[in-house]
Amino acid sequence: MRPALSVRGFTKTYDGGFTAVDGLDLDVPDGSFFGLLGPNGAGKTTLIGAVCNLVRPTAGEIEVFGHPHDARNARRLVGLAEQDINLDRFLTVSEVLIYHAGFFGMARRRAKGRAEELMDVFDLTSKAKVRPTALSGGMRRRLLLARALMHEPRLLILDEPTAGVDVELRSELWEYTRKLHAAGTTILLTTHYLEEAEALCEEIALIRGGRIIARDSADGLRARYGADDIAGVYLQAMSDAAGDDRGAAR
Amino acid sequence: MSVSDVTTLPDPDAPFVEDRRGLLWLCEREVVRFLKLWMQTLIAPVMSSLLFIVVFGLALGDTIADVDGVPYKQFIVPGLVVQAILTAAYSNNSSTVFQARSDRFINDVLSSPLRWWEVNIGLAIGGVVRGLLTGILLLVLGVAITGVGVERPLVLIVATVLVLIAFAQLGVIAGIYANSWDFMAFVTSLVILPLSFLGGIFYSVDRLPGAWEVVSHVNPIFYLVQAFRIGFVGHGDVSTWLALLVLVALAAGLSAWCAWLFRTGHRLKP
Ligand SMILES: Nc1ncnc2c1ncn2[C@@H]1O[C@H](COP(=O)(O)OP(=O)(O)O)[C@@H](O)[C@H]1O
Ligand SMILES: [Mg+2]
Repeated sequence: MRPALSVRGFTKTYDGGFTAVDGLDLDVPDGSFFGLLGPNGAGKTTLIGAVCNLVRPTAGEIEVFGHPHDARNARRLVGLAEQDINLDRFLTVSEVLIYHAGFFGMARRRAKGRAEELMDVFDLTSKAKVRPTALSGGMRRRLLLARALMHEPRLLILDEPTAGVDVELRSELWEYTRKLHAAGTTILLTTHYLEEAEALCEEIALIRGGRIIARDSADGLRARYGADDIAGVYLQAMSDAAGDDRGAAR
Repeated sequence: MSVSDVTTLPDPDAPFVEDRRGLLWLCEREVVRFLKLWMQTLIAPVMSSLLFIVVFGLALGDTIADVDGVPYKQFIVPGLVVQAILTAAYSNNSSTVFQARSDRFINDVLSSPLRWWEVNIGLAIGGVVRGLLTGILLLVLGVAITGVGVERPLVLIVATVLVLIAFAQLGVIAGIYANSWDFMAFVTSLVILPLSFLGGIFYSVDRLPGAWEVVSHVNPIFYLVQAFRIGFVGHGDVSTWLALLVLVALAAGLSAWCAWLFRTGHRLKP
């Protein structure tokens, strides 16, 4: 079956000349819960930016359900909740949701209806008329997720959704993502919390220094590295990769 | 309700259809943004232009001789109107774009199915509408207070359209290049404002000593003021064609620059 996301030879060299991602290949199967795991600066956000038309690839091809990633057909299939909260401070909570759906071509009545549904699901109904700047951190995270879901994406990309959030919100977010996955949504999640990948992801790619150093099902990885859990896999793979780097440097 | 109750999966191969144009939604957002703050974005600038008309035109106007047969209070109206329009268009768009960039909610638009030129138009439209409303308000008040006429309405309409396009685009460009709010304030107070005051709003450049007259002619805003003055009182310091030609060149050049920024993603996307 055609993958939800297919990346071939993706390279990104930023303006300063720094190559953040180098010749990366990745397939995310349709319907999977896919974890992209790696330390800070590994290139996760860069890759996601390229998929979502926010970073200009230096080289490589990216397809979303078989469509070139920058085609409108691809764009409307992807929902993105970015790592850093980026909400329009001039709009109210319900307007944030409605306009977002609008950019995806939704009719007003439907956008309003869907915004109400999602505010209900994410416990934001009482804040419908409030500006995002007046929300608590947890509410902003939930709004970010609700916004990403407004246009009914088939591929949902969550970039470190739980970085810096409290335990309660984290378990809430896990609950939401599990249900979305159960309903058929493909989820690409980046994280550097190993227990999060362990708890949620069926397939995992480990990324370091802009390269994929391992990619398999969670079980496959545990077997390959002879580890009990993903934490063990991660540490082993990272230290192998560090060894390779030193070898290359020599 | 649970999130799985409200999840439906789109067919990845179904053609993309918009029930309501995304472009319309973006335009709406940009217009709503300044209308929510209409006291600051419309009334305040109109009031300050009006102060100039009252102080310079009505209070001092009688002590100042007619300029080219036009009473002074009427002479200053066209320049003040165009200055208000261009400032509104420029400042609206530079701040909306810079805010969207610095808070990164512009990503919400850039990652949507909107085409690059739709994003360009959508982000520019707020300034166009705000400039237009500002211009209409001032026109009505200026005519009512000073009795100035509109001798050549067609010239005024064409000039208004061109000024709106040029400065709406300039605002977007500034918002894309800006790195700080300071930079934006710098452009407004040290470029736009001096150029418009030196552009002959309050005087005819014929009266300036030689060198200053030459300097005036390289100031693009001078031609905007002339075009508006021709529209209102029927004549200016340069020919109608020259004034409009400069406006066309300005609007076309700035639009091309802006289009290039959106098409390539230069500065918008790393
Ligand atoms: N806009 C940018 N300009 C220059 N370098 C960048 C930019 N964005 C990210 N980088 C660099 O690229 C590398 C990868 O960053 P990122 O993709 O954000 O990693 P991650 O999301 O895995 O933490 C880092 O070294 C970062 O400093
Ligand atoms: Mg990141």
